[in-house]
Amino acid sequence: MAQGDGTRADSETALQRRDPYAINWRLVAAVVVLQAVLLVVSPPLVVFALIEVMIFALYASALNLLLSFSGMVSFGHAVYFGLGAYGLALSITHFDFPIVLGIIAGPLVSAFFGLVYGILCVQLTAIYAAMLTLACAEVTYAVVFQWFDVTGGDSGISGHVPTMLGLAPHQFGLVVLCVVTVAILMLWRVVYSPLGLTIRAVGQNPARAAALGHGRKSVQLIAFVISAFFSGVAGTLFGIFHGNVFPDYVGVLFTVDGLLMVVLGGLYSFGAGIYGAIVYKLLDNLAAHYFQYWQLVVGVIIVIVVIVSPSGIAGLVRRVVERIGRRL
Amino acid sequence: MLFVQVMQGVMEGIFLFLIASGLTLIFGVSRIVNFAHGSFYMVGAFLTYQIYPWIAEGTALGFFVTILICGLLVAALGLLFEVFLLRRVYHAEELMQLVLTLAAVLIIRDVTKFLWGLDDVTVSLPDALSGAAVIGGTYLPTYQLVMVGVGVVVLAAVWGFLKFTHAGIILRAATDDRGMVALLGTNQAHVFSSVFAIGCFLAGIAGGFAAAFESINYLLDTRVIVLAFIVVVIGGLGNFYGALYASLAVGILKALGLLFAPRLSMVIIFLLMAVVLLIRSLRRTTE
Repeated sequence: MAQGDGTRADSETALQRRDPYAINWRLVAAVVVLQAVLLVVSPPLVVFALIEVMIFALYASALNLLLSFSGMVSFGHAVYFGLGAYGLALSITHFDFPIVLGIIAGPLVSAFFGLVYGILCVQLTAIYAAMLTLACAEVTYAVVFQWFDVTGGDSGISGHVPTMLGLAPHQFGLVVLCVVTVAILMLWRVVYSPLGLTIRAVGQNPARAAALGHGRKSVQLIAFVISAFFSGVAGTLFGIFHGNVFPDYVGVLFTVDGLLMVVLGGLYSFGAGIYGAIVYKLLDNLAAHYFQYWQLVVGVIIVIVVIVSPSGIAGLVRRVVERIGRRL
Repeated sequence: MLFVQVMQGVMEGIFLFLIASGLTLIFGVSRIVNFAHGSFYMVGAFLTYQIYPWIAEGTALGFFVTILICGLLVAALGLLFEVFLLRRVYHAEELMQLVLTLAAVLIIRDVTKFLWGLDDVTVSLPDALSGAAVIGGTYLPTYQLVMVGVGVVVLAAVWGFLKFTHAGIILRAATDDRGMVALLGTNQAHVFSSVFAIGCFLAGIAGGFAAAFESINYLLDTRVIVLAFIVVVIGGLGNFYGALYASLAVGILKALGLLFAPRLSMVIIFLLMAVVLLIRSLRRTTE
């Protein structure tokens, strides 16, 4: 009896305690307001950097859904990023879509290719699956690069959409802020929904998840498509931001950028993509400005992260927050 | 024409084999997918460029000695990387290992840029190797024939090592079941380090030979590593002889592709890899 009371009391306090998976609206509002203020008051060059950080934060977060939670590694995620931009461009230049429809088409094209390639890739596991994502990516890159009549080949496509939709940099920055915020919140809902629980279960232990009736392939495929879709959102934004699209957007460098961001940010935490994008793009913009060998700096930092603190920046932030929390 | 192109393919296959065999040996034993392997290859090429004039430029003997030295230097570099960095992540998850070797790629590339600049450099072939031989009415560069010889020698050496030496037996056993090898009293750390050094040695000499064959620059690493990965995957990760067949197949396919469908040559190779992967997965599920 007493024990029963005890558990009820426990569950009540658990309810009163904040659900760690609920969206912390106060934090979100604070970050968004801060970012909006930064966008409005900063000079254009800084605004451009901020926009790039936001777009890559979304891209890396989408990739992070795979890496941290679903137990898959993608060596070809730039495909879904770049095809967002190509989806936008081609739907306008070849199918005469209005710009609004083109913007919607971008992520859908990414999701479609995520589905097609995903069906192939989930047939395999671990490093074999990763190699197949690489093969899919390279084939896509080759097609985009060489199908000159459609994609413009090396010279890409430009002029299909006014750069930044014709808005002033800070206005476009605010648009990107809205889209990226909504998208990242949706990703959060995915990760911490029942579906996300299933994805994480499959990622951590496919055999046990299978014993509970969740097949690895279908769950990983869903995660793959979702990740491809949001990568496509980021890519579409990137295409609008620059008003063009090049085969590089689909290429291996963008894939590596995403991977490094997630690992810098800290594997197995939701914020990895966001922290990683901020730090990586900061290094890119600052270090590259002052120091010719900035990749050396990135390399050394990553070695330190992997060896000393595998939980990355996210782990660092968590530790600092916990320490401050204990003080208060 | 066809024959010349096939010979070209065979030669490229031998280069690939030198790189991919190291990659696959390392994976077989330590389960590390080493992205930095192409970087070690590149370092081998640049070291050859640097050292060859000091040894004896122009002589064939000096050339081979140079390449041997470079192989050993690259092996030493690889050993340092393995002992001080890679060894710490053997028990971490796969992605961490991948990213660590990726970081090594970035670091080695920037150091290469710093030391040797951004421009292409070339190593002039020793006179004895720069001619051409007439075989069946077609001219074949002597260097291609030399490379075939080198390929055969390396293959024989590694085969003999794996087959007949004590270390080779341990290596094969470790590829099969490394936990059991450790249980039987072999120091795993030594096995991992030696196989990494051997792999890097092979990459280093491959780079050395490549330096005399094509112009080299700091982008050599990525150009080579992707093809090497394809070879390793097609041959079966960790399968030394598979790497041999796969590198010859990929080399010849690439050369013929350049002849008949130049725009599709890389696509064909990637499709081959995708098909091989998928067929293997089918076979595994039916078993």
